[in-house]
Amino acid sequence: MKLHKNWRGILLFLLPVLILYCAFFVYPLGFVFSVSLTEWNGVTAPEFRGVRNFVDLAGNETFRLAVRNNFIWALSLGFLQIALAALVAMILARRPRGWRLLRTIYFLPNVISQVAIAMLWLAIFNAEHGILNQLLIGLGLENWTHNWLGEIETALPAIIGQQVLYIGYFMIILLAGTMSIPESFYEAAEIDGAGILQQEIHITLPMLRGILITSMTLAMAYGMRHFEATFLMTGGGPANSTQVMGLMLYKMTGYLDYGHANAVGATLILLGGVVIATIRWLLSRGEAASEAMQ
Amino acid sequence: MGTRKSTAAIIAKTAKWAVLLFFLIFTFLPLLWLFITSFKTNYELLTAPLSLPAKWQIQNYINAFQLSDLHLLFVHSVLVSALSTALNILVASMAAYVLSRYHFGFNNVILSILLAGILIPIIALMVPYFKLISRSGLYDSLLALILTYAAINIPISVFLVHGFMSAIPKELEEAAVIDGCSFLQRYSRIIFPLSKLGVVTAGTFVFLYSWNEFIYALLLTSSVRARTLQLGIRFFKSQFVSDYTSMYAALVITIIPSIVVYVLLHEKIIQGLTSGALKG
Repeated sequence: MKLHKNWRGILLFLLPVLILYCAFFVYPLGFVFSVSLTEWNGVTAPEFRGVRNFVDLAGNETFRLAVRNNFIWALSLGFLQIALAALVAMILARRPRGWRLLRTIYFLPNVISQVAIAMLWLAIFNAEHGILNQLLIGLGLENWTHNWLGEIETALPAIIGQQVLYIGYFMIILLAGTMSIPESFYEAAEIDGAGILQQEIHITLPMLRGILITSMTLAMAYGMRHFEATFLMTGGGPANSTQVMGLMLYKMTGYLDYGHANAVGATLILLGGVVIATIRWLLSRGEAASEAMQ
Repeated sequence: MGTRKSTAAIIAKTAKWAVLLFFLIFTFLPLLWLFITSFKTNYELLTAPLSLPAKWQIQNYINAFQLSDLHLLFVHSVLVSALSTALNILVASMAAYVLSRYHFGFNNVILSILLAGILIPIIALMVPYFKLISRSGLYDSLLALILTYAAINIPISVFLVHGFMSAIPKELEEAAVIDGCSFLQRYSRIIFPLSKLGVVTAGTFVFLYSWNEFIYALLLTSSVRARTLQLGIRFFKSQFVSDYTSMYAALVITIIPSIVVYVLLHEKIIQGLTSGALKG
């Protein structure tokens, strides 16, 4: 039998989501792209400027620095963090002693807010009493101590470094993927005399391909959107060395410079899309090549 | 040959445990240090940052509560997270029900448009969100945050719940029709309860998101009237000035609820996360 179509019910059930989606996704997207072509302070009538806001941004040294830093973030998360997460996932998938507990502990920081984590690292990087400098002094490495967040050379690596090493989220996903690979594949390889390293390279990595691509895409998208840790730890300084697009957008919104703010927002959306499309294209090209070889 | 193999095995084993130990220290040591330091005096922190406190005194915790309205912020955060999760799950599951169980022609179009929202960097929408909320008179209210968090998470919730709902066999629903169940009853008594795992996964996701959200709490509120815990943390630096150890005590208080929830629910959270992720 066919279910009787209840048009009123269908519409009524869809309506709340459609209204919220239009208000918080469709309208804002149109808003960002249209206002990015104007000069507007939010009060007087907007004035059409064409693409001149984007030209301004391209010529703005701080913005160029922010874009560069966003790319550094995206690449560090997409490649370094995912590589480390995959390494730990492959180790834990072989069920060493205590692997369940380790998995649970590694994921723990992901339920703590970015804000609290940022404040924690502000304490760790503190030049006077921070645990990092104290540990280095304790190890007799006084020369290695730094005012980590206050020096141009160390600020960006310090913020990115602490973030990259929180591998929990992607490690959990990659671990679940690795554990779903049939045990018999490894047993067969074992009989053929393949060592553990060879098994990981020739079985695990190819089988994880899809999940790895998704994880890298997500991690790079997070890199392009980065905001919290930088806002709380350095505010973009020293000398804009940790500046990112999200932070500039926030500041310009505060100055009521809506035209430029939305031009930054539009750039963020477009660059994010380009990064995602590029990485997927590059990786899927690799897939086609490896299939052709087999 | 035999000795070479065993040397290699020993190196591999050492490397393996070195990696595991490194990440254990990295995740745990900073939190442990913060916890221990929150019981020390500022003098102890500055003179011996790595030592245990001479006396485990709770004065810092008393200061933390007195200085920062923590209890108020805590209530705000619970309210915002619980209500935005409830609202999000209600509307998302209603839409997912219709989209997964009734084929009316544009199911896939609507679903694709909704899911495309996952790809949009929400942070880029600061100006329109600010305008939208202030024009509707909701600026600096908890309702602004509840609506915003519920709406932002619609794509991910529809995605997760729809996946579970479309896996329910059609026969169950047809039997319910024969038994005289209405459109609404089929949703509330059959489809919604049967997709509980998807609902719980999505709910956990939205709750953690709302509990930890910072950017829009910063942008859409200004006074302590609508301040959440995460935004409150930002003001610790100015409230506590150089009273570091009291600030660390306040920080510990904000972290503890997340850890308690995690200790109680970690199996569910990890399971939910991986089931959602592997589907995608």
